[in-house]
Amino acid sequence: MADQPTATERFVQGILPENPVYRQLLGLCATLAVTNGMKPALTMAVCVAFVLVCANVVISLIRNLLKPHLRIVVFTLTIATFVTVADRVLAAYMFQMSKTLGPYIPLIIVNCLIICRCEVCASKQNVVIAAADALGQSIGFGLALASIAAIREILGTGMLMGFRVLPSFWPDWVIMVLPPGAFITLGLLLGLVNYIDFKREQTRN
Amino acid sequence: MSNTNRQIDSAMSPEDRPGRKPPFIHVAPSPHISDSRAGTRRMMVDVILGLSPAIAVSLYLFRFYALKQLIVCVAACLAAEYLFARMRGKYFTLKDCSAMVTGIILGLSMPGSAPWFVGALASVVGIGIGKIIFGGVGMNIFNPAMVGRAFVMIAFAQLMGAGAYENVTGLVDAVSGATPLSALKFNGVQTGIAPLFMGVTNGSVGEVSAIACILGGLYLIYRKTASWQIPASILITVALIAAITDIAGGYQGLFLLHHLFAGALMFGAFFIATDPVTSPLTAKGKMIFGVGTGCLIMVIRLFSGYPEGVMFAVLIMNAMTPLINRWTIPQPMGQREV
Amino acid sequence: MSLKNSNLVQAWLVLLLATLFGTALAGIQAKLGPVIEANKVKETMAKIPVLVLGEDLSAELAADNQSLTIKSRVIDVKKNGITKFYTVYDVWLPEGKMVGHVVKADGQGYADKIELLVGLDAQGKHITGLFVLDQKETPGLGAKIMEDAWRGQFKEKSTEKTLSVVKGGGAKEDEIDAISGATISSRSVTGIVNTTVANVASQLQVTDNPASNSKTPAVQTEDPGKNKEHS
Repeated sequence: MADQPTATERFVQGILPENPVYRQLLGLCATLAVTNGMKPALTMAVCVAFVLVCANVVISLIRNLLKPHLRIVVFTLTIATFVTVADRVLAAYMFQMSKTLGPYIPLIIVNCLIICRCEVCASKQNVVIAAADALGQSIGFGLALASIAAIREILGTGMLMGFRVLPSFWPDWVIMVLPPGAFITLGLLLGLVNYIDFKREQTRN
Repeated sequence: MSNTNRQIDSAMSPEDRPGRKPPFIHVAPSPHISDSRAGTRRMMVDVILGLSPAIAVSLYLFRFYALKQLIVCVAACLAAEYLFARMRGKYFTLKDCSAMVTGIILGLSMPGSAPWFVGALASVVGIGIGKIIFGGVGMNIFNPAMVGRAFVMIAFAQLMGAGAYENVTGLVDAVSGATPLSALKFNGVQTGIAPLFMGVTNGSVGEVSAIACILGGLYLIYRKTASWQIPASILITVALIAAITDIAGGYQGLFLLHHLFAGALMFGAFFIATDPVTSPLTAKGKMIFGVGTGCLIMVIRLFSGYPEGVMFAVLIMNAMTPLINRWTIPQPMGQREV
Repeated sequence: MSLKNSNLVQAWLVLLLATLFGTALAGIQAKLGPVIEANKVKETMAKIPVLVLGEDLSAELAADNQSLTIKSRVIDVKKNGITKFYTVYDVWLPEGKMVGHVVKADGQGYADKIELLVGLDAQGKHITGLFVLDQKETPGLGAKIMEDAWRGQFKEKSTEKTLSVVKGGGAKEDEIDAISGATISSRSVTGIVNTTVANVASQLQVTDNPASNSKTPAVQTEDPGKNKEHS
């Protein structure tokens, strides 16, 4: 963390250079669980974005009133509130999606991405920077989820967002929409990201 | 065994453990011959020779279907090995024949009816995710052939599962119908022991004949390419559990023999579980490995939704192998227990 | 600085936040709670006309802008000392003739619990339809229990004999053709249907006037949100 980060810098950093999934390996439970299709993955990303932005802003606003030993309690309280809001709204207006995502929306409470951003950014920076940081991280998280979900859904069902993208003779790789497919895809993509990074580093030196 | 000793010797050299007070032995997964490729190569050629009876039976029984699976898998394995080794900047790994062995084992463990892309995908996944990603031959945790097979087994359950063996039009008449194990599991039908032993039943192309697998396996053990402990302990464990079930259910020995000779048990015990890279190093470790595999096979066969469990049993025990190796580090001579 | 060091301020801060968040959540629940309940009931209610009347008749009914009268009640079946509860929806035509029942049933599948809606005719003699509310079977194999082609087999089956599962096609009367490669899922569903039918069929009352046995609250298809449904 730089001493005095600017809002733009925090926003840009979150998307790729400090991508929550590929660089910080945060929020992997959600990443593995809901990426069997593009739709649940995007819904999840939006929910996480909502919770992260709201929690970061609230924490940043009250950061000067908080003693260190109380902060975890307050973080959890804030996050849980916004997660409950997201869960209820989803159940009311996107009932089928809420059934598909099942327990994973309530589980955002324990998504370490959010508590990590509250701890390292929102509790130290002003509201603008905290909000920019949350937005950047959310977009990064959404991109990571979407990339994994796209690969899994296309290989596993031949479709993307419910539209057929591969010819109908494509044999569906059912394993890709099952849990093992999540691990394999995440592992290979992580490897790829590291490889690209390594090559970049090499050319720079 | 000589491999083990060599490894222990080298591990005991002082520069390996600077400043460590109680001398300890670092046991690493085999094979430990890294200076010459000939060792691996000789073993692999032995395995291919050992597999030849099973290959012959499969070609005789399934003809074109067995040939197709073998060609597809071997070609895809070699291509994948070449490709992935190139990506890692290594060129020589094709010569040790290990990719060919993986291909043959994979081909023999396919149902004859599987389309070509199933074998090809299994080979690419097996070599890529099962082997090269861990660092190539000697470094892999899981048996590459079984990794590939497990992948397609779950990915194309319909083309690989029990259903794949039924209604296979065009196969030799005598061998169409459900596999003996799934017939037993789902419909309660016993297949005769003699056809099981000789191999005139349905199943994955290479696993059907118990006698061919035993012949090849004995050759491997005679050449010391495969250790006798693993197949022996697997077979004894499976026989014991099947015998208990047999007595409890009053099958008069049929159930026991059926479980011994049907499915991939013989093939798996002699050719898959004995893979020196993914099985423990010491004799004691091999026994534990075999007993564990045998138990898992029977648990899966008797209590799970799958009729056959050799593949998953071997994969699970592969994961246990580093732990077993830690448990069974041999005591150096003259060393008191710490 | 002084604010931050006072324990009293800290305590009040947490209390205040908790109250604030609690109130906000209560407000949201008050606003959205009924919508969510309605969603849950609607999910079941939407299926009932098709299950009892079949696709064509229910479409006709909807085109005429008429709706069925549906009431839910709970049947408890005691068996081997275990009491099992079934939610049963009794269905009447608009003119008051009873047309059938829909029973909500669940049981163990291959992967997880399977939840079904079983449609029965008025006398409980035949199965009129089957719908899978919830399942987590293997995609591509067991999940085929959701498909019309497979579910349709249960239509018109008599409830007097137990259904059995056969493999490889050619299912006769009282037989269900298994999904190839998913014998266990097929058997689970058939098993759940068998138990449900055996337990419930005898307890279905046939009354042609929906008002006569109204101990339990009535649920109209037109306004499904009013009553909480219990299962």
